[in-house]
Parts: sequence; structure tokens; C-alpha cells
Amino acid sequence: MPDFTAPTPEMIVVLPELLLVAAVFLILLVDPFTGRDRTAVVAIALSGLLASGVAAVALSGQEIVSFGGMVALDGYAVFFKVLFAAAGVLTVLMSPKYLEAHGRHIGEYYALLVLAIVGMDLMAAARDLIAFYVALELMAISSYLLAGFFRNHVRSSEAALKYFITGALASALTLYGISLVYGMTGATNYYQVGQGLLGDPSSVVLALATALIVIGMGFKVSVAPFHMWTPDVYQGAPTPIAGFFSVGPKAAGFSAIVMVLMTVLEASQETWSVLLIFLSLLTMATGTLMALVQKNVKRMLAYSSIAHVGYLLAGLAAMGRAGDSEAGQSVLLYLAAYTFMNLGAFGILAYLKSCNAADFDYSLESMAGLGRRSAPAAILMTLFMFSLTGMPGTAGFIGKFYLFTAVVRADLTWLAVIAVLFSAVSAYYYLRIIVYMFFRETDRELSAEGTPVGAMAAALWASAVCVVLIGLFPSAIWDAAVHALTGFAL
Amino acid sequence: MDLGFAEQIGFRALTLLTFLPTIGALIMLVFMRGRPNAYKTTALVTSLAAFALSVFMIFNFDTSTAAFQFQENFSWIESYGITYHLGVDGISMLLITLTTFLSVIAIVGSWNYVDDREIGFFISLLLLETGMLGVFGAMDLFLFYVFWEIQLIPMYFLIGVWGGGRRIYSAVKFFLYTFTGSVLMLVSILAIVWWFAEQNGAPTFDIQTLQAAGFPPGLQFWAFMGFFVAFAIKVPMFPVHTWLPDAHVDAPTAGSVILAGVLLKMGVYGMIRFCVGFFPEVTVKAIPWVMVLSVIGIIYGAAMSLIQSDMKRLVAYSSVSHMGFITMGLFAFNLQGVEGSVLQMVNHGILTGALFQMVGFFYERSHTREIKDYGGVARPLPVAAAFFSLFVLGSLGLPGLNGFVGEFLILVGVFQYAKVFAVLACVGIILGAAYLLWMYQRTMFQDLTNKKWLSYKDLNLREIVTLAPLAIMAIWIGVWPEPFLNMLHAPAENIIAQVQPYMAQQDSVFHMASTFLGGF
Repeated sequence: MPDFTAPTPEMIVVLPELLLVAAVFLILLVDPFTGRDRTAVVAIALSGLLASGVAAVALSGQEIVSFGGMVALDGYAVFFKVLFAAAGVLTVLMSPKYLEAHGRHIGEYYALLVLAIVGMDLMAAARDLIAFYVALELMAISSYLLAGFFRNHVRSSEAALKYFITGALASALTLYGISLVYGMTGATNYYQVGQGLLGDPSSVVLALATALIVIGMGFKVSVAPFHMWTPDVYQGAPTPIAGFFSVGPKAAGFSAIVMVLMTVLEASQETWSVLLIFLSLLTMATGTLMALVQKNVKRMLAYSSIAHVGYLLAGLAAMGRAGDSEAGQSVLLYLAAYTFMNLGAFGILAYLKSCNAADFDYSLESMAGLGRRSAPAAILMTLFMFSLTGMPGTAGFIGKFYLFTAVVRADLTWLAVIAVLFSAVSAYYYLRIIVYMFFRETDRELSAEGTPVGAMAAALWASAVCVVLIGLFPSAIWDAAVHALTGFAL
Repeated sequence: MDLGFAEQIGFRALTLLTFLPTIGALIMLVFMRGRPNAYKTTALVTSLAAFALSVFMIFNFDTSTAAFQFQENFSWIESYGITYHLGVDGISMLLITLTTFLSVIAIVGSWNYVDDREIGFFISLLLLETGMLGVFGAMDLFLFYVFWEIQLIPMYFLIGVWGGGRRIYSAVKFFLYTFTGSVLMLVSILAIVWWFAEQNGAPTFDIQTLQAAGFPPGLQFWAFMGFFVAFAIKVPMFPVHTWLPDAHVDAPTAGSVILAGVLLKMGVYGMIRFCVGFFPEVTVKAIPWVMVLSVIGIIYGAAMSLIQSDMKRLVAYSSVSHMGFITMGLFAFNLQGVEGSVLQMVNHGILTGALFQMVGFFYERSHTREIKDYGGVARPLPVAAAFFSLFVLGSLGLPGLNGFVGEFLILVGVFQYAKVFAVLACVGIILGAAYLLWMYQRTMFQDLTNKKWLSYKDLNLREIVTLAPLAIMAIWIGVWPEPFLNMLHAPAENIIAQVQPYMAQQDSVFHMASTFLGGF
């Protein structure tokens, strides 16, 4: 039985989250007094996120488990907390111009965004199924609200509703899986559950619980065939938020999946690695083939993000097969690489939309001739597209390199071959954006976008710099991933 | 055995050479936007400096050894044994010089070629040069792959932005073909590196270490296929050549020159360095298959050239034919064949580059490449016709010009391996003479039907300056190939030594026939 006489929790374990929560309260307090100028709110959100990232870095190297074994501070949590803070900073930076262009720049947006990040942080730090579930819901509910933030837009409302209904279903499935393993072991702590399950690795109930948890989380990170909400939500949600959804909650979902698979479901490794190979193939195929036929860039990026989830699942499957932590590390590295390139791509779209709120409709056609109208935006988009394709010199290649290495090492070379072939196919739709930007012209009267300035420029260039730095010097981030998986606390 | 840069030349010549064009491109981008004379001069000076540096390196090059020279080696990604390791042997030194040489030609040749987004054009050419030099200089598999992929991007833009005709289709086709081959090669790379890591405890991407690893037959076969398909697409070998006519025809002149002159050679270079170096056993088993594909390429490319009505497309298909000779000579695996093959890479780069350049010059005047719109051009443009005749004759293998030397050596080599292939290849030579002379006759001689040609001017000084070095090289190698072959003796012997142990059971045509029936 767990120890109910919990000692006073060590609050330092959740210091980054406390800073974020403080920022949320400050935003809500200050917002009513700011009038039409939201600079103060943006500044608070940014400082909160930066402070949380800095706090996480400062706390790295420690291994503390507190709150009665529910929340940990270790390399694993720190890796994700820094990543989420970075994703949050980039999202906040690309938001003001976009929201102003839509006439809906209000403080709650930032409060919800930061709250979602609190949930994500706790998902990565949770070492207990209940804590994990509460964190998941905190993230999810904030996300539903953000998706429907343009409440007067039909598509935005549709996005929120779809996200909510599928999200609720996913939560229910996950919770059912959790209740099954609790029934089997009488514990909710990852380690204790994992140890308890080791005694009976072949039971049907465990297989069912594994399937439910994997599928429930599969909804969250848009694994085919549970992906159908993704394009609609990304299309309807405000563009910076769509970008954030494609990286933040997705990475948070994976942070929980990796941890749960490695600790709680260690016993059913055989089951889930086979299940994941199957899901990986299906997800890569669905994402890649559907992205080929999209005319709307946002929807294309949504399907492309599904394809990337397929690659990540191959990495997870390798994690089950290889028997060491290197595959898990490659998944973490891929998530980091993916965060910057995909957020950057969505940032460009947000920028273009805020320049031409009426005429830019995210169609390929409206990207045409961008190379002439705004060379910096087009060049940055080109970088992000090549990174998503996996061209060397960019983060995307490093991510794929480590990930496919892990797959090959797990004796799944055939899966790696299929994955690289899908990424060759994916080159077609990434290149198509470049074709439209540089090789085609348009008759549409789009006002010249010019050079991005201010916060937007900072977000775009920061993403680009991260993409190139990870691409050329991956050692630092790889070491962080190694540290995250070799020394996590239970 | 290995020669570092410090003893040999005293400074990091290969790094400097590789990134010199990038530095030039950055200077142009940052300081010279909107000033055509400034950025064009910078591009020219940069490429000339790179060429001068590569020539300087040749003078410091030790031809007596197959060892890699001017080596530089730093750790890059330590945990995976990835290094920044550069070095050249005679083969790569020659190809590097070809690259810097043709880059200068391409820049001079397209001085007034583009009017739209001109700075981007020259920046792309320079970045492309860096990519190509990196491919030939890399001694680390990871580094090689990086450069191999990177050079796709500038070429993609060159075709897509500054090309003609169906430029978008061709650019995307070029990219996707090569990229598909490349990613399969990536899996092969990972497979052999991790096999090595399992055997030796730590992964390495060092090419020489991996060459000595001795992979097991099963792994050799599949990994060989991954590498070979990537290189065969690049060469291109029949039947994965279909991207080439499109890319060549729609690329701007400079793009075609570089594409034919250097990019295709990267495929053969890859076969030499990796297929032979890593998988000698499977390479030997693949000889008959490569021979057959090469012969098909030779005859098919020549036949296709015969029926083309577009001059550029004709030259493009002739490349398929000539590249068939080169792969054939290499896979004969004797001294004449291998040396002829590498020398012919240089020759083909010079001659086909020159032919594309000339077609470009004609096109700039007449805005047509259809052979029927030409005829009697020798009268209004005698200088152009004279240069054109030289390159056409060189290309069809006239003794005294460089094409002959390469083809002759290749045929000698192939003849020793199997007479039937040498005979079939000769058919390709005859067809080559036919389509080239026929084209020359229809364009330069006969009646001047298209009166517009009378109003076009002959080659100007810049164009002559572009072509003269190519002509000089064509004659030089044709008359006195010794200095070039000297650089190839040691590496060629090294290549042959690598496959020699497995050649014994592969020396008869009869055995080949049984290999055909029995498969691998």
C-alpha cells in the first residue's frame, strides 16, 4: 500500500510550473487594466515562460521525487520543461501580430497558453498515473479553449468542438486503461505498477489495458486511425495555436507515452512494440498519402505532422525491441528537432495571414510568388520545408538520422526502409511549397509581405537558428536526451 | 601512410577550397545585393581562386601513392564516431579540379544569361560548387551524405527558377529521383555502421575504417543495393535515367554544364569509393549485370540521340550513352578499364560541358534548339562552327582529342574482360559518330534556310574565353594524357587490388552466362 502519511512536498520540484502559474495569475490581474495595448500581458507571458525554462535548466542534474512519489524532477522532466518553455516562447512571440490582424488580441489567450504548458510540464514530470491524468486534462481543457478562441468563426468553433469530443473520448479510454492496471496491481505509481505487472506479463487484462492506454494517447498525438480530428482542428484553430498543438501537446503526449511504456508497461513490451509497428506503418502511410493531395497548406502541415508521428512510433517500436535507452533518446531528439521546424513553418503562415488577413487563405495558390514579395519569409519557409523533408544540415535530418539509426539497430531495417521511402514521398509536398513560393507567380492581389519585424521576426529567426544549430551541432541536444533517459527518477 | 595537410601543404587546403565558394556567396548576399557588376565579379573571382587553389594542390600532390592526401580530421559528433574528415586521392583530386574548372566556365558562360533574380543564380552556382567539392573530398560517410544531399538544393533551384520549358516538373523530378536513391543509401549506411559497431564496440563513419571492415555476405548484398541504386540514379544508368533528359533540357545552360560535367560523375565516384570499397565481393558478382545495363545504356542512349530533334536533348541522351562507357570501364576492373573510366569522366565533363555551353550560346541568339531551325550556320558564325566541330569530334572519339583516349582505354579494358561487351560498345561508338556528325551536318552545313541566322553575331570575346579553355583541355588530354593518367595509376591499382581476391571465379564469359541463369 502506498504511504499516505506524505511528508511536506519539496516545492522546488515544481518550481518551473509555479513560475508559470504565477505568470497566469499576473496576466489575469493585469489584463483588465491594459486597455487596448497588450504589450504588458505579452511581456508577462514571455518572462514567465523564460523564467520557467531558466529554472528548469538551473535545476538540471538533480533527482528528486516528491508529492508522495507523484512528481519527479530529473533529467527527463527538465528536457521536456525546457522544450515546452521554448515552444511557448516561440508561440507567444508569433501571436500578437496575428491576433491583432484578427481583432481579437486579449489576455486570456496567453493565460490559457501558459496553463496548457503547465499541464504539459506536469505530464513529463508525472511518475504516477493519477498525476499524469490530471496533468493531461489541464493541458487538454486549455487546448480546447484555445482551439475555439475565434468563437465567431465557424471553423474555429468546429475545431474546438471536434477537439473536445475526440479529446474526451481519448481521456476516457486512457482512464479505463489506467483503472485496469490499478485493478491488477492496486497501485498508481509508475514504478510500483510496473513491478506489479511484471509478475503476469501475458494476461489478457494487461494486453487490454496496454491497448487502451496506447490508443487513448494515440488520439492525443494523432496516430492513425485516430487522427481524423487533426486536420480540422489545425485548420480551424488560430495559426500560432495550430503550430503549438502540432508540437507542444504532441511532445507532451510522447513524453508521457515514452515514460509509461518504459516503466508501467514494461511487462507488455512484446504487445506494444508489435502494436506500435503496425500503427507506425498505418500512420506514416495515412499522413504522407493524405498530405499529397492537400491544397490548403495548414491541412497539408496537419497531415505531415501525422506522418512525423508515424516516424516517431517507429522509434517507439524500436525502443521496445532494442532493450536499451538509445531509441528513446532518439525519440526525444526528434521531438526537439520537430518542435522548431514545424513551429517555424506555422509561424510563417501566421505571418503571412497577419499581413493579408482578407486575401491569404492558406492555399498553395496564395503562397505563389512569395519569393518575390518577401524573400526573407520565403527563404525561412524553404529552410523549414527542407528540414521537414530531412535534408542534411537541418534539424530534420539529424532527427531522422538518429531515429532511423535506432530502428535499424533494433533489427527493424525493413521498417526503416519503408520510413525513408515515405519521407522521399513527403519531399514532394514539401517541395511543392517551394515550387509555389519561388517557381510560380500569382494573379492575386496580395499586398507585399515585406520583411518580418519585431516579435514575429524574433520567433521566426529563433526557430531557424535552432533548426540549423541542431542540424550542424547535434551533440549538445543529444547529450541532453541521453541524460534525460539514463537518469530518470522513479 | 596517410598524409596530413600540415606536412604536405601547410594549411587546410581542402577546407578552404570547399568553403571558398560559400564564403563568396555569403559576401555577395550580404554586401552586394542590387549591384550586378560587383556580385558577378565576386562570383568569378571566387571561382577562379578555387580553381587556382586546386591547381596549386595538384602541384603538391604525390602521385606515387594511393593514400589519401591533404587530410584533415576533427571529431564532429563524438558519440557516433562521426568526424569532419577530408582527404583526396588521385581520383578525387582530378574530379575536384574538374569541378573548380567547370565552375569557372559556367560562371563566365552565363555572365549575361539571366535577367531575373540574377544574384540568386550566381549564389546557387557557388553553393553547388561547395556541395560538389565536399562530395569528392569527404572521407567520412556522414559528411559525404551531407554534401551529397546538400548539392541537390542549389541544383533544384537552378532548374526550377532559371530553367525553361517544363522547368518545375523537371526540377521536382530531378530532386525526387535523387532523393529516393539517397534515402535508401542512408539506410544502407546505418546498417553497415551498426554492424560495425556491434563487431567493434563503437560506431564509426570513417570510410577507410569501414573499407577494411569486411562485411558479411548477406549485409553486403543489401547494403550494396542501397548504395548502388543511389549511384545508378545519379550516373544515370538505364533504366533509372529518365530524369536526365528532362533535367538537362530544362536546366539553364550553366546548370546543364555542371549537371553533365560534375554531378553525373558523383555517381561513378560513389561506386568507386563505396560499392567497390565496402562490398568488393558483391561488386564482383554484380559485374555482368552492370556490364549489361551499361551496354543497354550505351546503345539505347545513342539510339535515342539519333532521333532527337532538339539539340540539347540530343546531347543529354548522348550523356546516357557516354556514362555507359564509364561504368563499363570501371567494372572491367583492370588497369586500362579503371583509368580509362576515370579519365573519361574528366573528358566527358569537358566535352559535354562544352557542347551544352555551345547549344546555350546558339540558343541565346536564336531562342530555338530545334535542329530544323538551324542549317548552314557555319557561314554566318564560322568561329562558333569551328569550336563546335572540335567538341563534336572530341565527343565521337576522334584520335588526337581527349574522347578517344578514354574510350580507347575503356575498350581495351573491357575487351580483356569480355570481348562481346567490347564489340557491343563499339556499336555505340559508331552510333555516336552517326548522331553527332548528322547533327553537325544538319545544323552547321547544308543550306541556310533560316535567314535569321544572318543577323546573329559570331561568338564574342567572352564566349570565346569560355570555350577556349575547354578546347585546350580537349586537345591536351588528347595528345598528352600522361600527366592525368599518372595521377590515376596508384588509386586504380588500389581499386583493382580490392576486388582481385574475388575475381578468380568471374573471369570467363561462360561463367557469366551461368551467373545470368542462376542469378546471384
